[in-house]
Amino acid sequence: MKLLRAAIWRLFHPRRTIKPTRDGWWCLFVAVGLGVAAINTGNNLLYLLVSALLALIVVSGILSEQAMRGLALTGITPEEVYAGRPALLGATLANRKRWLTSYSVTLELLAPEARALESGSRFIYFRRIEAGTDRLATWEETLPRRGRRSLAGVRITTRFPFGLFMKAGRPALTGEVLVFPAVRPVPPESLGRLGDAGDSAARRRGRGNDLYNLRAYRPGDDPRFIHWRSSAKTEALMVREHEADTSHDSRLVLVGRGRAGTEALESGLSEAASLAVALIRAGAGVELAGPDLFVPLGHGRPHLRRVLTALALYEPAAPGSATAAPVDGEPSVGPRRLREIRVPLA
Amino acid sequence: MSALLALRLVTYLLVGTGVAALYGAALIGPVGAGLVALAILVGWGHEQARARGAVRPALGYCLVGTAAVAITVDLFYLAYSLLDGMVHLLLFLILLRLFVRRGLRDLRDAALLSFFMLVAAASISFSLSFLAVFVVFLVLGTWMLILNHVVTELEQAGREGAAGSSTRRVFFRGPLTRVSLVAAAITFALAGGLFFIIPRVGQAALPLRAQLGRMVTGFSDRVDLGSFGDIESDQSVVMRVYLTDERVEPATLPELRWRGVAFDQFDGSAWSSVGATRRYVRRGAAGDFGIGLPRGTGPVLRQEIFLEPMGTDAVFGAPRMLRLELQSPTLVVDDMGGLSTSSATARLHYVVESELEEPTRPAALPARPGLPVAERARYLQLPELSPEIARLAREATAGTRDPETAARRISEFLSTTYRYTLALRRETTRPPLEEFLFVRRSGNCEYFAAAMAVMLRSEGIPSRVVAGFQQGEWNPYGRYFMVRLSDAHSWVEAYIDGRGWVAFDPSPRGEVASVAPGSVSLYLDAARMRWYRYVINWSLGDQVHLAASVHRQATDVRVGLSWPRHWRVSPAVLAAGGAVVVLALAWLFGRRGFATGGAKATASVPAFYQRALRLLARRGLSPGAAETARQFAARVGVTAPERAEPFARLTRHYERARFGATALSETEWQDVTLALDTLAATR
Repeated sequence: MKLLRAAIWRLFHPRRTIKPTRDGWWCLFVAVGLGVAAINTGNNLLYLLVSALLALIVVSGILSEQAMRGLALTGITPEEVYAGRPALLGATLANRKRWLTSYSVTLELLAPEARALESGSRFIYFRRIEAGTDRLATWEETLPRRGRRSLAGVRITTRFPFGLFMKAGRPALTGEVLVFPAVRPVPPESLGRLGDAGDSAARRRGRGNDLYNLRAYRPGDDPRFIHWRSSAKTEALMVREHEADTSHDSRLVLVGRGRAGTEALESGLSEAASLAVALIRAGAGVELAGPDLFVPLGHGRPHLRRVLTALALYEPAAPGSATAAPVDGEPSVGPRRLREIRVPLA
Repeated sequence: MSALLALRLVTYLLVGTGVAALYGAALIGPVGAGLVALAILVGWGHEQARARGAVRPALGYCLVGTAAVAITVDLFYLAYSLLDGMVHLLLFLILLRLFVRRGLRDLRDAALLSFFMLVAAASISFSLSFLAVFVVFLVLGTWMLILNHVVTELEQAGREGAAGSSTRRVFFRGPLTRVSLVAAAITFALAGGLFFIIPRVGQAALPLRAQLGRMVTGFSDRVDLGSFGDIESDQSVVMRVYLTDERVEPATLPELRWRGVAFDQFDGSAWSSVGATRRYVRRGAAGDFGIGLPRGTGPVLRQEIFLEPMGTDAVFGAPRMLRLELQSPTLVVDDMGGLSTSSATARLHYVVESELEEPTRPAALPARPGLPVAERARYLQLPELSPEIARLAREATAGTRDPETAARRISEFLSTTYRYTLALRRETTRPPLEEFLFVRRSGNCEYFAAAMAVMLRSEGIPSRVVAGFQQGEWNPYGRYFMVRLSDAHSWVEAYIDGRGWVAFDPSPRGEVASVAPGSVSLYLDAARMRWYRYVINWSLGDQVHLAASVHRQATDVRVGLSWPRHWRVSPAVLAAGGAVVVLALAWLFGRRGFATGGAKATASVPAFYQRALRLLARRGLSPGAAETARQFAARVGVTAPERAEPFARLTRHYERARFGATALSETEWQDVTLALDTLAATR
């Protein structure tokens, strides 16, 4: 029963699909025409030619199956994908057969918006993949909108050996990916002019120009930062550490509910994301607050991902819903006053 | 060699093969084939010149325009048949593609169009050379299709700017060539299999009537004694007679001849059959034609005959024919036992059963009735001839009492007194028969037969001249008689009261030396025979016969493999054997699993994890029966903390390798090696 169910499932979900190409249709058409002529005339040599065409079709199926069998496609997705910015996707195509080389295999990058129509697809061609080896293919894909987005996918196809039929495997790399809002560069000097200073300014190591500290040299330190005078005095290599340009912990406040229009909402979220990226890279802490949205203060790259994730998944709430609920359940900073940067969502 | 150049070369060779097919089928003559070959060569050079920019397009278009007009005129007014016109048009289209080629598509179109040259040749060709052309075309065709596919994909990949298409060279000893040859071999084998099993259900409602290839000439349905000169001995094989009964030995059939046409009227210089009455015989319910009933005069011989087109509508077979299997709706039978069909210009394949006549008539046979008066007068008809002939006949039959002895005497007289020759010279102005009998005293079989028939009639014995073929040479490689045009022969049938028509051959043909064919020639002809037998004439009947044969052999094998009844095996042994088989299958599938395909990384425990388990086992740590890999790793962490970290890594890789959707990456394998080394080094 289980086998029967599996067989029925396989019938409706074949591992591969096969479709005649233009030449393939001609081949079928000629085979049928010659078959009719052979039956009509009783000419055995015409039967021989019909047999040859049918055999050619069968051999095409065998060799294309041989090319496809044992191929494993593993998708590679980037950790961070930003809306409107090309993301580098990749796939490893491995030939797991022990002896046989796979010839003429194509990776078809399905078009994002028209997967069903298979139009506008792009192709990466591999002339041969030897047994036991794998090949890496990379390509750029730009996802225009933030949020959870399905990747269009990629599939293995081949028209080998005669170009008469296109055999295609199941699409891979079709999972969802979280697309962060578009991020624009924010000049470091403009960060200081944003909002009021607050009382949480703190000196932190960073990429600024001011001296933060001197310490002993450690392997891996940039030699350009060696402080020669101190090194001469202490007779040991000392390096400079710099202070971050902006070390004000900030609260990004999303103002409005974003109901005025999608464009204004996206623009506001993009601005908030850009500021979050710039601030956290500059060493500052960031807290995110807004309608139905709250990410408590935090630092570093993992926190940036939390902020960007919250912005990516932000949906304007229905009128009358609660506002400013902490998303993680963590308490806000409380009495400490952060520099507040207001970002209108309109 | 670049892939594109290889594709061009193979395409041109493919077109050349198609032209060879047309030439082999006589759809184009040697001059036409030469011109087309020259045009193909010019096309190759033209392409090179065009690549250098040395050709003006206007000139090409003028030539193409002129050729198009010529082809149109040819198609409607000049061509011998529609098929010829279509072939010329096809050649024009292919050459056009080669001359004005702009891209890969034109090259591919030229190659695909050349397939239709094969189709055109197949419609009228019967020659074995078609097989050679077909095989070459298949090899080149698969190679062309693969090359075309690769070049097209490379071009597309080049436009896409994709990686992996850096090399654009192919080698004739490279892997793709091997793939192509394997593909061609498999295609050929499959095509052969399909050819034999595709049901021949065709009714040939609209058979293609086209001109035939070379027609063998030389056999005439009229014996004319007025011709003089050297008769050429044409060695063309015109008939192959396959004896279906393998028990029949050709040595036991020395007097076998293949009877065709009989002549009853003699006008002094020629024999003809103007007085014959013809009737149409319809095919019987069994699909054959019943011609006569057996009389018990001798054994029945079944012959399968392949007859080349000779320009005669006669159907040949060993006398006396009883039954005929022929793909024709009707058959014409004349009152002298001659058979003819409407497919005069077609290559014939038929099966005939004949009742041979023993030299000595069995005594138990009932006597044949005598000829009616009108018939007797018909077979005694003679023009006004010299009385010398009648006198010669009387002298030859002097002292004989019965007609049969008289006929034998005349036959012996002619065969011993006269000489057989193919060089016929006119020496007097006398009528041909008189000149043969009284002046030249030599001639070919027609003179001997005509003389005997006239002499018999002058003696009052009804007779007629029969034209056909001698036995021919026996080909032991195919078990058939090869009958050449030079075996054409004439003999005499005399009506003997009580016995009916009896054949007499007065020609001493043994005097003419004939060259025996060599082994190679016999082999080639046997191959040709098999080609006709199993390809050209493969029919629904053959398929039924084949299916029955396969069924019979399968039954034989089944009987051969069946369990001998005298072997007694106890049920316990059978059960034990069955259990062993079941266990073996369970072990096999349990070990390998039913999982196939690339999605499952591995179905068994990876070797590296097994080694890690062995290393731990030396320290007294082994997984329990109900312990998972993670649980075991946790236990290792508690009992042997120094081994916990590398074994935890190995466990993670093990889970990924065995249950993950993909194989381990290179980095992961490096980590596996490192962890194993660490585990082994830890004391």
